[in-house]
Amino acid sequence: MATLQEALAPKRTPLYHLHQARSGGNDHWQPLNGYAVKGALDDSKEANAARLTQCSLSDLSALARLGVRGQKAAGFLTQHGYHLPSAPNQALKQPDGSLVARLSASEYLLLGSLADAGQRIIQHESQWPSHQSGMYCLPRQDTHAWLALSGPHISAVMAKLCGVDMRPNVFAPGQVAQTSVARANAIVINAGGCFYLLVDTALACYFWSVMLDAMQEFDGQPWSVTALQQALES
Amino acid sequence: MSHQDATDSQATPTRLPAPMGCHIDRQTAVEICFEGLRYQGFAGDTIASALAADGRYLLSRSFKYHRPRGPLTMAGQDANTLVQLPDEPNVLADTYPISEGLNATGQNYNGSLDNDRDMRLGKFSKFMPVGFYYRAFYKPKGAWKVWEPLIRKKAGLGRFDLKATGDYHDKAYLFTDIMVVGSGPAGLNAALTAAEAGAQVLLVEQSPLLGGALTYARFDAQGHRASQVCQEQVAAVEAHPNIRVFLDATCNGWFTDNYLPVIQGKRMYKVRAKECIVASGAFDQPVIFRNNDLPGVMLASAAQRLMCHYAVRPGQCAVVLTGNDDGYLAALDLHEQGVKVAALVDMRPGPADEALVETLKQHAIALYQEHTVFEALGDKHLHRVTGVDIRRISQRGEVAAESIILDCDLLCMTAGYMPVYQLVCQAGGKLSYNDAAAEFSLSNLPQHLYVAGSVNGLHNLDQVIQDGAYAATQALFSLGLPTPGTAPIGPPAKQVNFPWPIFAHPKSKEFVDFDEDLQIRDIVNATRHGYRDVQLVKRFSTVGMGPSQGRHSALPTARLVADATQRSVNETGVTTARPPFSAETLAHLAGRSFDPYRMPPMHQRHVQLGAKMMPAGDWQRPAYYPCADGHLDRHQCMQEEAQQIRQRVGLIDVSTLGGIDIRGPDAAEFINRIFTFGFLKQPVGRTRYAAMTNEQGVVIDDGVSCRLADDHFYVTATTSGVGRVFQSMLQWNAQWRLDVDIANVTSAYAAVNIAGPLSRQVLEKVCTGVDLSAEALPYLELREGHIGEAPTRIMRTGFVGELSYELHVPSRYGEYLWDVLMEAGAELGIRPFGVEAQRLLRLEKGHVIIGQDTDGMSHPGEIGMSWAVNRTKPFFVGRRAVDILESQPAKRRLVGFQLPAGSAQPLEGHLVLDGPDITGNVTSCEYSTTLESIIGLAYASPDQSPGSQITIRVEGGSEVNAEVIKLPFYDAQNSRQEM
Repeated sequence: MATLQEALAPKRTPLYHLHQARSGGNDHWQPLNGYAVKGALDDSKEANAARLTQCSLSDLSALARLGVRGQKAAGFLTQHGYHLPSAPNQALKQPDGSLVARLSASEYLLLGSLADAGQRIIQHESQWPSHQSGMYCLPRQDTHAWLALSGPHISAVMAKLCGVDMRPNVFAPGQVAQTSVARANAIVINAGGCFYLLVDTALACYFWSVMLDAMQEFDGQPWSVTALQQALES
Repeated sequence: MSHQDATDSQATPTRLPAPMGCHIDRQTAVEICFEGLRYQGFAGDTIASALAADGRYLLSRSFKYHRPRGPLTMAGQDANTLVQLPDEPNVLADTYPISEGLNATGQNYNGSLDNDRDMRLGKFSKFMPVGFYYRAFYKPKGAWKVWEPLIRKKAGLGRFDLKATGDYHDKAYLFTDIMVVGSGPAGLNAALTAAEAGAQVLLVEQSPLLGGALTYARFDAQGHRASQVCQEQVAAVEAHPNIRVFLDATCNGWFTDNYLPVIQGKRMYKVRAKECIVASGAFDQPVIFRNNDLPGVMLASAAQRLMCHYAVRPGQCAVVLTGNDDGYLAALDLHEQGVKVAALVDMRPGPADEALVETLKQHAIALYQEHTVFEALGDKHLHRVTGVDIRRISQRGEVAAESIILDCDLLCMTAGYMPVYQLVCQAGGKLSYNDAAAEFSLSNLPQHLYVAGSVNGLHNLDQVIQDGAYAATQALFSLGLPTPGTAPIGPPAKQVNFPWPIFAHPKSKEFVDFDEDLQIRDIVNATRHGYRDVQLVKRFSTVGMGPSQGRHSALPTARLVADATQRSVNETGVTTARPPFSAETLAHLAGRSFDPYRMPPMHQRHVQLGAKMMPAGDWQRPAYYPCADGHLDRHQCMQEEAQQIRQRVGLIDVSTLGGIDIRGPDAAEFINRIFTFGFLKQPVGRTRYAAMTNEQGVVIDDGVSCRLADDHFYVTATTSGVGRVFQSMLQWNAQWRLDVDIANVTSAYAAVNIAGPLSRQVLEKVCTGVDLSAEALPYLELREGHIGEAPTRIMRTGFVGELSYELHVPSRYGEYLWDVLMEAGAELGIRPFGVEAQRLLRLEKGHVIIGQDTDGMSHPGEIGMSWAVNRTKPFFVGRRAVDILESQPAKRRLVGFQLPAGSAQPLEGHLVLDGPDITGNVTSCEYSTTLESIIGLAYASPDQSPGSQITIRVEGGSEVNAEVIKLPFYDAQNSRQEM
């Protein structure tokens, strides 16, 4: 673990100041994909496994994500080995742990795997043209902050913020909702085990605070991305 | 003072033994204060029950005549128990749970609650007939101004603590298959039946315990049935995994598609139910006779609630006045709990169940049939009922002369039941009244809404329970779940409503509406004024407009109006029920408010630098930074920052500028149609000013078009306008079907403008991949390179009129970019500057800000931007309107003006005058240190030319004459920005 000063890099997540303020010190920072991210105080497997059963919010903004859309987007992604959801507003987990969410008939959102912090997508983003005929990449890494809500009270927390029915029997793993959450446009994905929430990066600080506020009655706490990584792996 | 022993788990001097008192925990004593005196109750008590346990029944004063009032319903259905808490007025004492140290007082009195000097107002009631407010205080003209403060002083209940701070309230959505409103026998069985079939059920109960009437009412002479059914049903409901129970929760309205607000504690649930079963029960109805409002006169159900829920013996000696068999059962309850029942007065010739007469005889309870209470008698101050004047009913609403006086300290009354119809009628249900049988029925229910139990006109316990199952069956069928196959219930087994429980008294004070102190004659007089419609009677008399919302006054009012207008109650109807069902606080409606705000990536740097922030749309932007001496004085900071840019170098965060990527084969054609300039031939690597008009030819936004590739434009837009621009682009291309992708990438890029004569020197220290020399990167050119490690779009711009570069980087690098530039510029004295200085600098250059210097009528010609309109291209959005507008004589024109330093400074919005005529207004105005004068932009008559004078009316009404100046004010040759 390093201090924030040691870990701080040119790339910064929209929320790192909030994490810094909350930690009260500069300990427990570590690099991830060129960003400084807050590490867990206790990264033991037992602690992380226990934490999965608690209401938690993680900042995954350091992980890779990319949008692709256009009439030829589906063919392009398939050609590059992605399995695509059959209908809009569905998400499909890829064998490597990354996720492809279909946001419309011709728009896709690629979310990097927690296991490798999205290396596959980082690689593709650097290799792919920003656009070509019928295929346009969208800079989701910079437009959208990425949070993960986990624990047993996910649907109860979301019910305080969003008018979409997100009970487990209705909003099943693989479902996607593009809706208003706490009056902010958001993409909500049931990733199985946790919900992914993607919101405008400029709204990230606002959104983080309203999420924690909604989680308060369930003893919800922030949880480091590295600990979530480990917990989901185990 | 009460000094009850909290450890005594059985009876106390005023508490009844268990099983009475199902709401209270006798092990937990709770002390409260009312009107400065201490009282002891138990956890689970309400304020009213704790006080009643100590014999205190006078809780409030009535609204108009300040009459003493006590508990009427013990269910929060009336205004008689409104009390004041330190930080909250109008608290219902009969439902508000006590807590240790709670301090309550009465309200709306002059003197003390027990001795209210304003009670004498009642003696003048003859002179304050209904509607007298409307007629008495408006003549002669101007009289209202005299009366208003006096009336306002007397009007209103309670005091609001202006220093009170808001509690945390919030809202949550809740989704369920079936919501059942009310957990009486019908609601419980409906919930169980539905849950058994697999439906997810939400059961909403207003009180702290399940069971509804089963928890206090008696359904048979033996008194066993209710508790037996209650125990079985409640246990089954509580154990059922498909049923979620909300206690202390109120469904406060019905909205389309079963959108149901349910208030519980400090939260409002916005319930979305596929099906809704209303099993809300029925309101016990009062009898209308003289002094029916005295403390100690209460509904029979209220006395039963006091006993069953709170173990409070409601009196020593009672008289029960009834219009149905339930009064007999209430009398038996009172007798069993040690209250002497002096008489049961039945307004009918006899009970439906004749065995009840024999039962009364067995308990030596005197029975008066076809009699009524003509007047309740009170003590000297009317603090408590002390007896009753009983008369034989001679004909409908009239009594014989002979009276029987009986002593009592409790008078229980029940004239029948009114369905709790509010939610159903809000849903479009129709409430009908059968005048012959004095029965209500509900019809015309929308799909997915059902009623069950006494709200459905059923009062026999078995029928009520079956009706719950039937309603559940209907809901299950609609959900496509298996149904148990129950059949509809037959007609009501017994009549419960006495047709005319209204007995006028020569001395009046027979209250129809307790909230508004309305008597029989008030309602009748309203009809004599010509208000025949019950809705008009309501508005004229205010009947039903108080906190109880007509729960007890609607039916007698309908009866009186019907009688006075020779119609039936079915013809008159009752007043409309609108949400909310019960009083709700603004805090509940507001909930936890969501107010999204946006912050650029370098926001923390601005905070750390001590910037004064200002809103710009939903963004937070630095207005200015502390000046050299550390002060945050707007004028000084702005002027210092502006001078810094004119003389050295400064840095402003412009990340809030909108950014839109237009990509694809038709990108140039698309841009060319959207903006007024020509863009087809815009070279790659060049920027171009881009103004946008709407179809009416009005300038609605502007920005810069940056051509990054043949098929890729990056267009900026104003901070608050980008959303509209983006939407407009999508909308237009939905028609044009051009082959482009339009992406709003505002948040994807952080941007700064580094400006000032030294800006190139700063940039050269950190920029790689781009030759920054004036020859290689001239004004309006665009390059892509790196600032430190950040990939950067570098544009030569001129908004502030100095050498400047707009730098756009992916937002992840925003804070880094800021840090790198501030560090590189440190030795050259770089300083951040805010929006205020930027506005001054652009004003010196005569640049307009869309939205500030334009309005909903401004077309390009008016604001001196004809140069930005390409006349050779065939089309752009608004082209036709622009052509038409500019072919007509101009009505106004935006001009620059100048005033000497020291003049009165016009403010934005101040009027420009031409003699007595208004010709325009000031849109921007500021003192310029560079120009040592006040400069501004204003709309003026189109014939104004440089050197002429315009008159501006400034603060205080004085006028100043300003000289019209040819724009720009500063560096007309643009040599500084193009260096």
